[in-house]
Amino acid sequence: MSAWRAAGLNYINFSNIAARLLRRALKPEFRAEAAKRDESHIRITKWADGKPIRQESSA
Amino acid sequence: MLGRFGSLVPLVTQNVQQQRGMATLKSISIRLKSVKNIQKITQSMKMVSAAKYSRAERELKQTRPIGSGATQFYEKAEISAPEDLPQKLLIAMTSDRGLCGAVHTSVARLIRNELNNDQQNLKVVCVGDKSRLILQRMYGKNIIMACNEIGRLPPTFTDASKLADAILNSQYAFGSGQIVFNRFKSVVSYSTQTLPVFSLAAVKTAAKLPVYDSLDDEVIQSYLEFSLASLLYYAMKEGACSEQSSRMTAMDNASKNAGEMIDKLTLTFNRTRQAVITRELIEIISGASAL
Repeated sequence: MSAWRAAGLNYINFSNIAARLLRRALKPEFRAEAAKRDESHIRITKWADGKPIRQESSA
Repeated sequence: MLGRFGSLVPLVTQNVQQQRGMATLKSISIRLKSVKNIQKITQSMKMVSAAKYSRAERELKQTRPIGSGATQFYEKAEISAPEDLPQKLLIAMTSDRGLCGAVHTSVARLIRNELNNDQQNLKVVCVGDKSRLILQRMYGKNIIMACNEIGRLPPTFTDASKLADAILNSQYAFGSGQIVFNRFKSVVSYSTQTLPVFSLAAVKTAAKLPVYDSLDDEVIQSYLEFSLASLLYYAMKEGACSEQSSRMTAMDNASKNAGEMIDKLTLTFNRTRQAVITRELIEIISGASAL
């Protein structure tokens, strides 16, 4: 079992962290363009019994 | 209103007659102005979505290999839904924005048909406000997750991975699932299709899994997590592209219809104006000859 999974991450989190670090390591002229791909605006709400659950997780 | 009144009471005074003519002229010109404004709006919306569309199509071309790669695995390994786990998950790929033809409704219709067959073992994840709005009244109890703030900007992989993460952590154990999205074909056409997703248990028992070399459980698990995110990303891109192209056509049609309406209204306007002038002339001449 790899260390990141033992720490409670799944592969999606792991690869996203890796991608973010790679984007930060780019040369400045490419970094701005790559930073745009790092953004996320999606809002996720859990539903139960036909109603949204109050606390909104933006996980 | 006034017109109906006038026909009921034929003995109207000249003054009212004239006012009626003026009123229709004015109301026609007001309507003409509002239709012209609507045409301006739809035209500019068309321009905006044309720009967004060309960007979405460019990005879609880059994304297609990601999607086909992930689907190839499912096909080659011949994974089928496990029979002991009938729970299914449906993911509706729409967006928050409307005014784009039947893009959202066709996704929702496909899901509605599935739900009509089987209410018990189906859960729905609504991506985008539109599918949620359509489905929540009838099938609110089947929705386990809803996402919004999507469709304003082009979807990113981070969006898709957040969604995949949320689905994996949703505590809903599904045997298999489907992503329902609109596959972009050309500027004027799209088709509503589904992409399969499977749970870890389904993949482990797949018949032809041994064709892949050196697989252990952890590799499969990692790959499944990642492939869910990439399938979602691919479906988002396809959906965004078909939405923009469909909005473009919808707005084009709206502008065309507004143009037709403007032509008709202008004709009526001119005709009414001419009628008023003619009537006034007749009144003056007959008045003069009566003297």
